[in-house]
Amino acid sequence: MRVMVDQDLCGTSGQCVLTLPGTFRQRELDGVAEVCVATVPQALHAAVRLAASQCPVAAIRVIESDAAMASAPAPTLRLLQRTPSGMPRKTNTI
Amino acid sequence: MGSRSCRCSGEARTPPGDRDLLRNCQRAWRTPVRSANQQVTIDVQETTAACRDAFAELASPTCIHDPYPFMRWLREHDPVHRAASGLFLLSRHADISWAFKATGDAFRGPAPGELARYFPRAARSLSLNLLASTLAMKDPPTHTRLRRLISRDFTMRQIDNLRPSIARIVAARLDDMAPALERGEAVDLHREFALTLPMLVFAELFGMPQDDIFGLAAGIGGILEGLSPHASDSQLAAADAASAKVKAYFSCLIQRKRTDPRHDIVSMLVGAHDDDADTLSDTELISMLWGMLLGGFATTAATIDHAVLAMLAYPQQRHWLQGDAVVVKAFVEEVLRYDAPAMFSSIPRIAQRDIELGGTVIPKNADVRVLIASGNRDPDAFADPDRFDPARFYGTSPGMSTDGKIMLSFGHGIHFCLGAQLARVQLAESLPRIQDRFPTLALAEQPPREPSAFLRTFRALPVRLHTQGS
Repeated sequence: MRVMVDQDLCGTSGQCVLTLPGTFRQRELDGVAEVCVATVPQALHAAVRLAASQCPVAAIRVIESDAAMASAPAPTLRLLQRTPSGMPRKTNTI
Repeated sequence: MGSRSCRCSGEARTPPGDRDLLRNCQRAWRTPVRSANQQVTIDVQETTAACRDAFAELASPTCIHDPYPFMRWLREHDPVHRAASGLFLLSRHADISWAFKATGDAFRGPAPGELARYFPRAARSLSLNLLASTLAMKDPPTHTRLRRLISRDFTMRQIDNLRPSIARIVAARLDDMAPALERGEAVDLHREFALTLPMLVFAELFGMPQDDIFGLAAGIGGILEGLSPHASDSQLAAADAASAKVKAYFSCLIQRKRTDPRHDIVSMLVGAHDDDADTLSDTELISMLWGMLLGGFATTAATIDHAVLAMLAYPQQRHWLQGDAVVVKAFVEEVLRYDAPAMFSSIPRIAQRDIELGGTVIPKNADVRVLIASGNRDPDAFADPDRFDPARFYGTSPGMSTDGKIMLSFGHGIHFCLGAQLARVQLAESLPRIQDRFPTLALAEQPPREPSAFLRTFRALPVRLHTQGS
């Protein structure tokens, strides 16, 4: 698994750093989150998916594996399912 | 009760027939019945018309005392409420969290040229003009530019670095309160601790002398009231007088930091402004300082008050304050959920298009507010929501329940509270120390509420030490 932060989107809330301090950190300069691991160890897969789903601005993208990229479920799917019925849904998922 | 509450703002313009309807509606939601478990529930009358103006109702004495029955009524009967003033108010958790996430997309802040449309009194109000240039009113990319300027002082590491000095302030405040308490006297914990702690932390962050912050703080409550959508002209005038003082003070502070920069937020922002006014304009600089002052401590103070009240009201939950950081965190999050300090969002979210929500169409360009405190008590998000239970937040990411539901008090999306972690750290450093230092703390009298529809807080929180035989 790989994980990325969309640094244009990042809202600098630091929630991911609080959730997984070993995986995410904030740039000193402007508080924008960045990933500090090349790949996510198996033991943290669930936690990273959770951090992605809980990012206030949905800036965290999880890539389950290179092969599965095209068909991988969007990391924010759980949140999207909770949008009120009949509402236009956000489309900026991977 | 029904007729007395009709003093609310809509009355003068309300035709007599509608006035009766309004009274009936208020009577309907205010008729409490006792259920088997003795919790107050609301008499459900399916034919009840929608309440005329929820903002006015939230300012009524009934709601100042306890707004949650009315919020429940709103969620069940009028979850996409259209107030007499035209503002919409969302009260269900799912709708609120959706609106938070859709800010910057389905919703935007008012454009500079539209200020008069959403704030008819903006032309003559300094406070409303300052509000217009705050971070919370901006959309990307301006929002992103401004937020990142100050984010470096609010990173998790920076806030963590403040822990020792916050702990020191906490210990010193408790030391100051101890002699009077130990003599058996009542002490106002709201003034002596809940307000003072965040004010002193704020002074440190801003590089301000302590006396200065105490001088400025007196006007903050009035400014917050003036910004409420239903503020009277005189409330707005009082807010503007206080804002003028704040503005003059910050202009002076900016000059001082320009000639003598230190390691504080004001010096850093002045440096950013002086390097490049495109990065931070004069107006944005003053508005940003003013906005941080407004958001900086009244909300934190209210939450410290509510946390202490929860400690006293639920002794069986006190063990949450005796454990490690994870355990204390759960207690802090539950306090924040149970009593959101800011009842509703103070900034307009403008619908970018017609939005249908639960069968109601919110028209394009409508001003939509969210009733945060109601979403936090929505049983669809938090089971048995009127029960205080820190276990909901045990072992979770900050602000998330074990069911993955968002605790709404800090917002969500692009306007997620900048000071959220700072507030959490202040609470986490305070509560176990209060319990440790004063294990027999008790209420000296019922704390008087501040009569504010927006900020749920107290005028005072008189406490004393419970002694044997008393």
